[in-house]
Amino acid sequence: MKKRLNILFITLILTAVLAACSSDADNEGDNNGTDDKVSEDMSPEDFEGDLDIWTFFGDVELMAERFEEKYPNVNVNVEVFPGDQYQTKLMNAINSNTDVPDIFDLERSYMGKFINQEFVADLTELGADELVEDYIPYVKELGMGEDGSVRAISDHASPGAFWYHRDLAEEYLGTDDPEEVSEMVSDWDSIIELGQQVQDDSNGEVHLISHFGDVYNTEKNNPELWLEDNSLVIDDQWNEIFENMKSIRDLGIDAKLGYHSGGWGDALNEGGVIMFANPAWASFMVGNEDGEAEGKYGLAETPSGYYEGGTYRAMFNGSDNKALAYEFIKFIAGEEWQQYNLEETGNMPALQSLYEENADSFTHEFFGDQKVLETYYELLMDIPANRATENNNDISTLWYDATSEAIDKGQSYNDAMESFKASVQNNYPEIEVE
Amino acid sequence: MFGTKINKDPHGYYFIAPFFISFFIFGLGPILYSFYLSFTNWTGFDQPEFIGLANYERLIQDTVFLKSISNTLIIWIFSIIPQLTIALTLALILHEKFIRGRHLFHAIFYFPNIITPITIGVMFALMFDWQTGSINQFLLSIGIINEPIYWLNDPWLARIIVALTMMFQNFGFNMLVFLAGLQAIPKDLYEAAEIDGASRVQTALRITIPLIRPVLIFTLITSVIGGLQIFDAPLMIGKGPDNSTLTMIMNLYEAAFVRYDYGYGATIAYGAFVVIAIATAITFMIPGVRKKREAK
Repeated sequence: MKKRLNILFITLILTAVLAACSSDADNEGDNNGTDDKVSEDMSPEDFEGDLDIWTFFGDVELMAERFEEKYPNVNVNVEVFPGDQYQTKLMNAINSNTDVPDIFDLERSYMGKFINQEFVADLTELGADELVEDYIPYVKELGMGEDGSVRAISDHASPGAFWYHRDLAEEYLGTDDPEEVSEMVSDWDSIIELGQQVQDDSNGEVHLISHFGDVYNTEKNNPELWLEDNSLVIDDQWNEIFENMKSIRDLGIDAKLGYHSGGWGDALNEGGVIMFANPAWASFMVGNEDGEAEGKYGLAETPSGYYEGGTYRAMFNGSDNKALAYEFIKFIAGEEWQQYNLEETGNMPALQSLYEENADSFTHEFFGDQKVLETYYELLMDIPANRATENNNDISTLWYDATSEAIDKGQSYNDAMESFKASVQNNYPEIEVE
Repeated sequence: MFGTKINKDPHGYYFIAPFFISFFIFGLGPILYSFYLSFTNWTGFDQPEFIGLANYERLIQDTVFLKSISNTLIIWIFSIIPQLTIALTLALILHEKFIRGRHLFHAIFYFPNIITPITIGVMFALMFDWQTGSINQFLLSIGIINEPIYWLNDPWLARIIVALTMMFQNFGFNMLVFLAGLQAIPKDLYEAAEIDGASRVQTALRITIPLIRPVLIFTLITSVIGGLQIFDAPLMIGKGPDNSTLTMIMNLYEAAFVRYDYGYGATIAYGAFVVIAIATAITFMIPGVRKKREAK
């Protein structure tokens, strides 16, 4: 008996270890037997079957509902995995090649790690270049792989701009007119000057901006990418960004409320800070019981166009449901859905044509009768179009961590760069750091 | 004395088999696999590439890893000393029969232990927030300070705040363990001491403390193991200036699940294992534990 048990246990250990070490060579896309070709003259009714989508973003359920309405013979199963667990869950599914969904969502901050992998379908082969032809350049470029093929498509853009309290702007800036306010905050020198004026006029009670981090958020896409031939390159623009951040803190212009902190949320809703650099999707952070936030804010242009966040949809290369999956991607990249999404959720479209079509009609309840699409469109076209890379976003975060800590401690840019380089070297030993 | 009564029927193995089977599959399997991973370079997307001891060489030169060890130990010491002192003091007080509503106090002091560490982390981060935290607001309102204190901008203050979260969460649990130990002490000893005219302090020092030594050792060892694995609460509070509150497990989490450097993450896990093993071994060397072993 004892001997048999010993054998049983040893077998179990070996099974467990071998299972864990097992090769996942067969994970990579297996297109055999799939029907990738979609006939041009197929109508929505001709599509049938089940489509599995994994996401971290609840709104995909709305998207799926609309798709099912249009494609009555299709059933879309959306699984939402909130939080950090999503990436791990997705990678486990892909590595073990079990229950991998046909379509999976990727967030732009980590998308660069995924989209050049073999398990991500090349959408260009399916004709996706046409879908993104009229896209906002940065939105299109971000979803492209290293080889220039389309690997992931988003149904929205996520531009940022200054949201300002109209009442405070009227009181301290002398106007709440979006164009005039945009003019007043068109560069950081003007913002610093204006911030000091607000500081003096309010005896330090009211601040122009919430945190020096707004400089980083709005400017972080402008410098050159961090890596060139795997060596760290520090663009001079970073120095300027640091100096502006530091001046804002040293001159008492910011309210020292960290981005998305509790105090920041209070100030956004209740005041005490005039303007906030916010992405277009930030409206869920505004309390609007009984319509209290209607017309409360104005939208002004930030010194540079910037974006924050963004959800992209990629297709699993090994999916045996590619035709239907592509049809879904086509649907979300199209005007019909993006127009509906704009009206329903206020998410900014990825298609340029929709900005023009809605420029004179679209308003958002928080911004009163201001036609916000025009402001967003100008800012969006100012965003440099870069492809998602593996580490660029993470290195930018390391830069911000090092510089914000240096500013909090009253240190110089050189001190901050020493600490930044050390942390890049520590986190990515393969990168050459001078 | 029970030797003759033990039933050595081999069928007993079937009853313990479920635990061992699940342990081998879900416990030992991943442990061995992560050990293998620690010798590889793996981002999770392709095949792990065997790189020998390179990760371990990187680990011993990794200043952040070394710092995370010292941070963890400092936070643990700041937490464990007040934690056990408060727990033992409260247990001794609540063990006294004259305290009214003892059970209510047991529940109140145990309450923080049932809150998740993440919630406590968020709570402390909000309380010690620079501009809007309740601590600063309170100190400002009673005039002790004129400017809000940036608590989490100072390495030592940040570590103390993290230690405080651990202490707040765990002192109630340790208090209950101490109380259980106190209740196991035979009443005859106290009666004898009372007859001999011993004071309360003498009774506590000569009877209570020596007899709950095994319980003290238990709490100490579990605190070493648990305290050195602290993760959730400091994650919510942040890494602190100069990574001063970055703990070993936070460092592991960042390597494996933020940067997707699974190979190096596994190496950090084994590094942390060695540190915890050494710390536990040192705990066994303290006099109380040795005495117990000698007594055996």
